[in-house]
Amino acid sequence: MTPAIKIENLTKDFPLGFGHLKLRAVENLSLDIADNQVFGLLGPNGSGKSTTIKVILGLLAPTSGSCQIFGTPSGDVSSRRDVGFLPEAPYFYRYLTGYELVAFFGRICQVEEKRLHDRVSEVIEWVGLKEAAHRRVGTYSKGMLQRIGLAQALVHDPRLVILDEPTAGVDPVGSAEISSLILNLKDQGKTIILCSHLLGQVEDICDRIAILNRGKLILEGELSDLVSKKDLRSLVVQNYREDFNEELASWLKAREARLVHVEQPQYSLDRVFLEHVGRSELAREKLSERAEAAMESKSRPDGGRTE
Amino acid sequence: MKKVMFSPDRIKVIAKNTFLEAVRQKFFGFLVVIALGIIASSQVFRDFNFGAPELKFIADFGFGAIVLFGSVLAIVATAQLFFSEIENKTAITILAKPVFRSEFIFGKFIGVSALLLVFTAMMTVILAVLLFWRESALMEIDPEGFEAGRMVAYADVFLYGLVQWLKFSILCGITMVIASFSNTNLYSVILSFVVLLICHLQYLARDAWTQMDFALVQVAVFMLATVFPNFQVFNIGDQVALGESIPIGLTVRIIGYALAYVVVFNLLAVFSFRKREI
Repeated sequence: MTPAIKIENLTKDFPLGFGHLKLRAVENLSLDIADNQVFGLLGPNGSGKSTTIKVILGLLAPTSGSCQIFGTPSGDVSSRRDVGFLPEAPYFYRYLTGYELVAFFGRICQVEEKRLHDRVSEVIEWVGLKEAAHRRVGTYSKGMLQRIGLAQALVHDPRLVILDEPTAGVDPVGSAEISSLILNLKDQGKTIILCSHLLGQVEDICDRIAILNRGKLILEGELSDLVSKKDLRSLVVQNYREDFNEELASWLKAREARLVHVEQPQYSLDRVFLEHVGRSELAREKLSERAEAAMESKSRPDGGRTE
Repeated sequence: MKKVMFSPDRIKVIAKNTFLEAVRQKFFGFLVVIALGIIASSQVFRDFNFGAPELKFIADFGFGAIVLFGSVLAIVATAQLFFSEIENKTAITILAKPVFRSEFIFGKFIGVSALLLVFTAMMTVILAVLLFWRESALMEIDPEGFEAGRMVAYADVFLYGLVQWLKFSILCGITMVIASFSNTNLYSVILSFVVLLICHLQYLARDAWTQMDFALVQVAVFMLATVFPNFQVFNIGDQVALGESIPIGLTVRIIGYALAYVVVFNLLAVFSFRKREI
């Protein structure tokens, strides 16, 4: 099956303006991003994430190597027919209403005029901006800007959605809602590339990740493989008492296992915040479902820890 | 994957958006108010007519305002609208869609050109109204002086507006070329004003060319005169103000000259922007 994105030996240099001096932003990067997954592209500032995204979008030409989107070279305008992009800290035409803005991008993507109204209304409702659709974008909060940015990225129903810092500057409630929207996109069969510094969010929603540092790929793989401690398991027990420790330790010792420590499970601060703020039921439910599904898969005999 | 084709519809969408963005800028409103104020104030300054007939003075004053503010608007609006897209990253959002860079450039050009058309039309209409009002008043004061009918050829006043709009469109194309490779708005604006000056004064070089002995200098001047359009071609204000009619042949030649440069500068802008990394 054709991967959503295939990057082969991509190198990108930027001339520094003096003689032949160049800044190497990306070095010999090779990545295959399969269809229908949430892929996290991570790395510190200046690691080459944005450059890689711009090469994928055809905004920058590679110095060497190649990049294909669903089999089409990324320099070809046709490759962007199936791509939706939300830039970091999006700035849109402030004088347009949210509806007009999404319709503008819909027309740019040649969504048929007879379908345009329905499609624009659909994506605006989907990102939760129905009530604010006819307000000027200039009056939107950061969270609303991100959501209208998501709507414009989706208006032409792309198969690949690239999100550059979609939750930058957004409060935890908005951030959870965007996470929930991303998971919905995956349920719709889309491929999502997510660039984010919020590693908690990445952990919650990504299937695979790649970490770049100084332009080089330093780690890539299934998220669960990368973060789980393979030789350890944890049990979550109800009505546990401290005096069980000794007995449990000796029971385990008899089976050549060792009790490392006993700890009380904790909710994440995000979850506590969301529950107390009381909004975003949908986002919480979606993330909980996701967490439960992940736990179920990991508690199978071939899986990881049990919680 | 289905091939994306060059689309006039996308150009129309970008042009419409560019036009909307431009008319909502304070700069445009400010320039319109100032230009209208100056045209209207020609009545106040008529004592400084240096002996010219009053209607000619009003026409000269109005034409001058149209040329001055239209040129400023053509350069500043083009550079501003181009760089606002780059600096605010809206260009990235647009070009990340299935959009050709040539469509982006053409859309921007047509949007600014439409803005310049609105501006020039507004100024020309106001000038024509002012001339008509003052001419009517003078006809009542001195009927004998107007025995042959009205002196002002209003059709030619509007023709003057059209010709100036064509000139502004060339200037917009020149600014687009400069903006397509320069890194700052200020640099684009300054360089465009320098080019505007060259275009206005290059007739001096053309005249000098005929008297030059050195072949190399002749070639250099010839190149200069070919690369930069001669804006004196569009200077039909004196003829219009003096009531001389503008021959149709001349009008057609001016339109053809302008369109040729508009096409060439747009293609140059596309070529320069084609590989620009944004």
